[in-house]
Amino acid sequence: MHRRKVLAGLLAATATPAIAACGGITSLKDESTLGEGTGSSAGGLTIGTANFTENQILGYLYAEVLRAAGVKANVKPNLGSREIVIPALKAGDIDVLPEYQGALLHYLDPKSTATEEGAMQNALTIALPKGLEVLSYSAAENSDVFAVTPETSEKYGIRSLADLKKQNGKLVFGAAPEMEKREVGVVGLKKVYGVEFKEFKSLDSSGPLVKGALKKGDVDVANLFSTDVDLAANGWVALADPKNLIPGQHVVPLIATRKADDKVRKALARLGAVLTTDELTKLDRQVDKDKKDPDRVAKAWAQEKGLAT
Amino acid sequence: MWELLKNLADWLTSGDEWSGTAGIATRLLEHTQYSLLSTLIAALIALPIGLLIGHTGRGAFLAINLASFGRALPTVGLITLVFLVSGLSMWPVYISLVALAVPVIVTNTYAGMAAVSPEVKDAAAGQGLTGWQVLWKVEVPLALPLIMTGIRLAVVQVIATATIAAYVSFGGLGRYVFDGLAQRDLVQVLGGAVLVAVLAIAVDLALGGVGACLSGLAGSRAAQHAPSPHGAPGQVAPPHDR
Repeated sequence: MHRRKVLAGLLAATATPAIAACGGITSLKDESTLGEGTGSSAGGLTIGTANFTENQILGYLYAEVLRAAGVKANVKPNLGSREIVIPALKAGDIDVLPEYQGALLHYLDPKSTATEEGAMQNALTIALPKGLEVLSYSAAENSDVFAVTPETSEKYGIRSLADLKKQNGKLVFGAAPEMEKREVGVVGLKKVYGVEFKEFKSLDSSGPLVKGALKKGDVDVANLFSTDVDLAANGWVALADPKNLIPGQHVVPLIATRKADDKVRKALARLGAVLTTDELTKLDRQVDKDKKDPDRVAKAWAQEKGLAT
Repeated sequence: MWELLKNLADWLTSGDEWSGTAGIATRLLEHTQYSLLSTLIAALIALPIGLLIGHTGRGAFLAINLASFGRALPTVGLITLVFLVSGLSMWPVYISLVALAVPVIVTNTYAGMAAVSPEVKDAAAGQGLTGWQVLWKVEVPLALPLIMTGIRLAVVQVIATATIAAYVSFGGLGRYVFDGLAQRDLVQVLGGAVLVAVLAIAVDLALGGVGACLSGLAGSRAAQHAPSPHGAPGQVAPPHDR
C-alpha cells in the first residue's frame, strides 16, 4: 500500500512537467473556449500519410507550407492504407492527412454517385463524421488506373475495363491486398463491368512488386496510380472507364476541425492552387526514379514555388 | 477488448474459417511447408559449413563474420530484391527464409564444435581414431545439444518470418496478417498472429523432444567411444601416468 503511493507520487511528479512542456494542457484549454466550426493550430499539427510515395510527398508539402505560415508541423509518414489512417485521424493521433476526393468518398459512402469535383466536395462534407472536414481541393489529381501491357492489350483487344469481360476467368489481377474488398477494385469491376479474374494476386500499391509482376507477365492486369512515372515509361495501357467506376481523384486535405484555423486553411489552399497533376507527377519521379528523399524534394519544390522559405 | 477476444475465439473456432482453399487448415499447412522446407535447405547448407570450420578450426573468423553479416540482412528487403529478379515465384520466399536460417545454424554448430575440449579430441586421435571417426564419434555427439539448439532457433525464426510469403502474394498464415491490416480487420490480424505463435511453439517443443532423444542416443554412443574409462561423456579423465 505504502509502496504503491510512493510509486504514484513519483509518476505524477515526473509526468506533470512533461505534459506541461509539450503544451498539451494549454492547447486543450484553448479548444474548450472556442466555438463550433473553428479550430486552433497553436499547438501545432501532426500530418499523417498513407504508405505510398506520393502521399508522403504531399504530407511533407503540407508541412512546408504550414511552417511557412508559422504553424508548427510534424509528419508521420507511411502509416498504412486508408483503413488505418482515417481511424487514426478520428482518434486524434494525427490532425491532417492528404486525401483523394473519390477514394475518400467511396470509403465514407460507397453508395454515392457523385463523380464531378464540386459535387464530390459537397458529398464529402455531408458524409464526413463530426469533427472532420475537407479543405479546398487541389488542381492535382491522381486516380487509380487498371493497366495492361501493350502486348496483352493487342493480343486480347483490351482497351477498356469493359473489354476485360471477354477474357473472364483467364486473367490474373495484381494489386494491394485491400483492393480485393474495395469498390474501386475486384468488387466494383465485377458489379459494374461483370469482370471476373482467374486469380487475385495480393502485392503492393503501385509499388515495385506489382510493377515488377506486370513487367514480367506474372499478372495481366495491375492496379497503378495515374501519376506513376512507370506507366508512361513502359508504354502500359491504362484501361478506359466508360461507366465511370473510378471517380475523380483531386488531392484534398482531410483535417480535424479543431485544428483548422484560418492560417491552416489559407496555407493549404495556396498549395492546392499551385500544385498541378504535372507538377505532382514530376515530384513523384524525383522520389521513385531519382531516389531522392521525399522531405527534401517537397522542401525544394515549395521553396522554388515561393510557398516556403 | 472482451469483444475483440470473443470475436477472435469465434474466428478461431469457426468451421467455415477452417475449411476451403483459403481456410485456416490450408494456410497452416502452407505455412508449415514454407518453414520446414526452408529450414531443411538451410540445415543442408549450414551444417557442413559449421562442422567443417569446427573440426578444422580454419576459416572460423571469416565464416562467423559472414554469418553475422547475414543475420543483419533485412528479410523484407531481400525478398523484394529477389522478387524483382525472379518474378512471381516461390524463389523469393525460400531464398530469403533460407538466408535467415543459415547464419543461426552455422554459428551454433561452430560453437558446439568449438566447445569440445581439445584433450578429448587428442585422446581420441591418440587411440587411433581417424579424423572422420573423431568427427562423427566424438565431436558431433558432444556438440549435438548446441547444434540442435541452433536448428530450433532457426525454425522458430523462420516460422515467425514466413508471414512475408503473403507480402509477395503467396499463402501461409501471413495472408491473415497482411490482408487483415490492409482491410483493417483486427480479428483476422490477431488470429493470424496467434496461429503463427502456436505453430512456432508446437514445432519448437517437438524438435526439443527429438533433440532430447538424439542426445540420449548420441550420449550413449559417445560414452562407448570416448576415451574416458569412467565418468560421463564429455568429461575428461585425468592423464594417469604423469
